[in-house]
Amino acid sequence: MPILGAGLVNVSIKAEALFTIGPLEVTNSMVGALLASAILLILAWLFVRRQSTVPGRLQGLIELPVEWLGGIVAGSTSRWRGYVSLILALFLMILTANWLGLLPGVGTIGVMHDGELVPFVRSASADLNFTLGLAIVSFVVFVWWGVRINGVGGYLKELVGEPRYMAPLMFPIHTISELSRLVSLSMRLFGNVFAGEVLLATMLALTTAAVFVLPLAFFVPAIFLGLELLFGLVQALVFALLAMTYITMAIAEHEGAHSEEHGSDDDHADPHPNGARQERTATAS
Amino acid sequence: MNSNLAAGLAMIGAIGPGIGLGIGFSKAMEAIGRNPEASGTLFVPYILGLALTEAIGIYCLVVALILIFAGGH
Repeated sequence: MPILGAGLVNVSIKAEALFTIGPLEVTNSMVGALLASAILLILAWLFVRRQSTVPGRLQGLIELPVEWLGGIVAGSTSRWRGYVSLILALFLMILTANWLGLLPGVGTIGVMHDGELVPFVRSASADLNFTLGLAIVSFVVFVWWGVRINGVGGYLKELVGEPRYMAPLMFPIHTISELSRLVSLSMRLFGNVFAGEVLLATMLALTTAAVFVLPLAFFVPAIFLGLELLFGLVQALVFALLAMTYITMAIAEHEGAHSEEHGSDDDHADPHPNGARQERTATAS
Repeated sequence: MNSNLAAGLAMIGAIGPGIGLGIGFSKAMEAIGRNPEASGTLFVPYILGLALTEAIGIYCLVVALILIFAGGH
């Protein structure tokens, strides 16, 4: 007889296919991603339908991340209106997908297939396809901003670097460093969330046998579950802020040549740019 | 067996980011201690620095996890 609980550490590194529609394999992390989108859509629909000037509890909950993260994005560059919706969408989508994976039943309810459990829903961010997709979207956006601000020639000139005779050496290095952002963005999110799933499964398996002896052991996985709530928030924030920083870098390199206002990196960290602007307009009028 | 050993060895690489995160965190706390009003300004660069440092450790973790779950036995 195997050790009690040892079979519980069952986390697959790739998403399992539930069924196929033609050539498309519908995996359980796709279900997770669609579920996260559905939750966001329903929240947005409720928010738009029952909007009021004096925010209620639900409206305040939805407005909180938008106002707070929007304030940070608004402090980055003068062109923040062009990308604030992308940053907010990235943050809300990743946050919802991360926290969806922590709900009871997600990853534990499913069908048995070849002696292994295939859960119906899996946290979308615990699949490299989802995180790589988000990373590709943000990569396209920050390259697009670089090309839009500097022009194609200016963007290529940035890749070549300053001393022109070093181009054969510097061009591959700069290209690889651009592409490595894609890898680091996707790998960071995937690694964190997948490691969280493995951690939770391991803690549950370690303490399952102990619960019969010492019921207090039940709280050990609960502590890690709380920790994963925090990590889910931090990783969503990190992804959104890094995408914002890459876009800011693509824009600010150009703006720095014309005005000193957005030249330094420290400017965009002002947490209350809206308040500062209101004060400025108030004194102006 | 061999891939599990390799996964364990891969996680040696997590020492570096661990030291780096400790230095970064201690410097941030020092800065907030010296100038508490700067905590708002420090927040975004601090989170970004943590994320970039942590990424190195996450690469080790991803390599180790792939070795455990997808590596040959």
